[in-house]
Amino acid sequence: MFGPTGVTAGILDIGTRKAEDERRRASAQGSGALCPAKFLGQPAAFDIPNVPDPAYFCRSNFASACGGGDSNQTVKFAKGTTTLAFKFNEGIIVSVDSRSTMGAYIASGTVKKIIEINPFLLGTMAGGAADCSFWERNLGMQCRMYELRNGKRITVAAASKLLANTVNSYRGYGLSMGTMITGWDETGPQLYYVDSDGTRLKGNMFSVGSGSTYAYGVLDNYYRKDLTVEEAIDLGKRAIYHATHRDAYSGGINNLYHVTKEGWTKIHSIDVNDMHYEFEEEKKNAMSS
Amino acid sequence: MASYMQAHQNLQAKNGQMAMPVHSSEGDTTIPVSFDNSNNANANPSADHIDHGVTEAPYERRFSPYDFNGGTTLAISGEDYAIVAADTRLSSGYQILSRNVTKLHELTSKCVLGSAGCKTDIDQLRSVLDINMKVYHHNHRKEMSTPSVAQMLGNTLYYKRFFPYYSFNVLAGVDSEGKGAVYSYDAIGSFERTPVTASGSGQSFLIPLLDNVIKHNNRNDEDRPLPAEEVVEIVKDAFVTAGERDIYTGDMLEIMVIRASGITKISFPLKAD
Repeated sequence: MFGPTGVTAGILDIGTRKAEDERRRASAQGSGALCPAKFLGQPAAFDIPNVPDPAYFCRSNFASACGGGDSNQTVKFAKGTTTLAFKFNEGIIVSVDSRSTMGAYIASGTVKKIIEINPFLLGTMAGGAADCSFWERNLGMQCRMYELRNGKRITVAAASKLLANTVNSYRGYGLSMGTMITGWDETGPQLYYVDSDGTRLKGNMFSVGSGSTYAYGVLDNYYRKDLTVEEAIDLGKRAIYHATHRDAYSGGINNLYHVTKEGWTKIHSIDVNDMHYEFEEEKKNAMSS
Repeated sequence: MASYMQAHQNLQAKNGQMAMPVHSSEGDTTIPVSFDNSNNANANPSADHIDHGVTEAPYERRFSPYDFNGGTTLAISGEDYAIVAADTRLSSGYQILSRNVTKLHELTSKCVLGSAGCKTDIDQLRSVLDINMKVYHHNHRKEMSTPSVAQMLGNTLYYKRFFPYYSFNVLAGVDSEGKGAVYSYDAIGSFERTPVTASGSGQSFLIPLLDNVIKHNNRNDEDRPLPAEEVVEIVKDAFVTAGERDIYTGDMLEIMVIRASGITKISFPLKAD
């Protein structure tokens, strides 16, 4: 619970076997007063309730579950969402909504669900908001350490593997995280889906969250590999709009990013309400012509 | 009991009758149980034998480490100020334990934390934050900036992801440019910088009002930047309103106006009913 006691040369060892052994030795010696530094991403560094089956207790009382999964909990955590990403010839489009719900209460309409891990890697947030933002920030740290140790940028495959392994060690404890890790590395554009069950899938198109089924309907209908950039942006925008229109747990603002060889760029931030009237106009014009 | 099947496995046959083992501080005993309603008192209710669900079909009672002590906090950010306000009532169940317990905590000269929820978790969270800030001060020879405090609070909450602090926080302060900064949190550290936020039992009464009046949502009249003095009056009205509809909010309102030049405190009495 106490932070690192100083920025020493040992800081570069975070995540290595050497640091792990140091820590184990320090705690084994009973130097409780030193309170080992919180080396992130290592299991058993968290306080766990002192009950016979901690995993069962945690996932029944402190779950970030989507939908009604946590309806019997007194303390509900922020979650909810629609996120999507797809690969096409000109790169990757990542499009998300911005609503965060705690039970039936909308905790925020302005959540940043695209997490900028580094200028070449993006992660999305679906499921438990705190789970996603904490572990993706942790992933950002691990990616940076990789860069410093190896002198080159980490691949998307490796980054997604790091995240998948981390959450896999907390499997069964009630974490809820469905994220897409995407970026452009030396092997080209890559898109991986990682979730808190330990699933890690490589693919060309994913949609994650309570509104994902609505987004898939639109995406599957209009997706082609040879979309132009404008068409792809429009597709990403429309899919999120339709999902927010029908899913109560999605809404707010559509944030859309485009990943290219040079890195990611933010394309737009449009209120889905404004999109509704824009599309209505379109429909009216199409009907009258 | 986690499931019907588990409960069934725990039944012991005693004198040919199914019996559920019950543990209590006065010793262990068994209670006759059947799953076909034959000896369930509800099947044949009479004046002297109404089953309120406690003895005939026992359920497990368990110690809960959490208590909800009520209260409401809110925070609003402005061009060069941030305002944080909280009531001072401490409750437990239907009782008022105290009318004069503060929910606001100054972390730095530019940053105040307001928390509602379980008082004991809030106190522990504050101790941990104070210690971490002292350590930071020793290592970096300067006070923590408000965005850094915000990130640290988020991390501190997440470190207890599997046994959370039952604390609903708002953080208000001025950033290094002197602009007002307000951050809202959930119980496990998901946070976001927002223009306004409220947390606690009266949150649902305050946020819609603030969304309309301060953030100017869903309004067609002209928007203008509000000075701190006007916002303080709006905050007083908001808490009076919340106190009318929320039993856990009342007694007294503490307001702190945070500017780059310092923190001003204002107290305002609320209804004590």
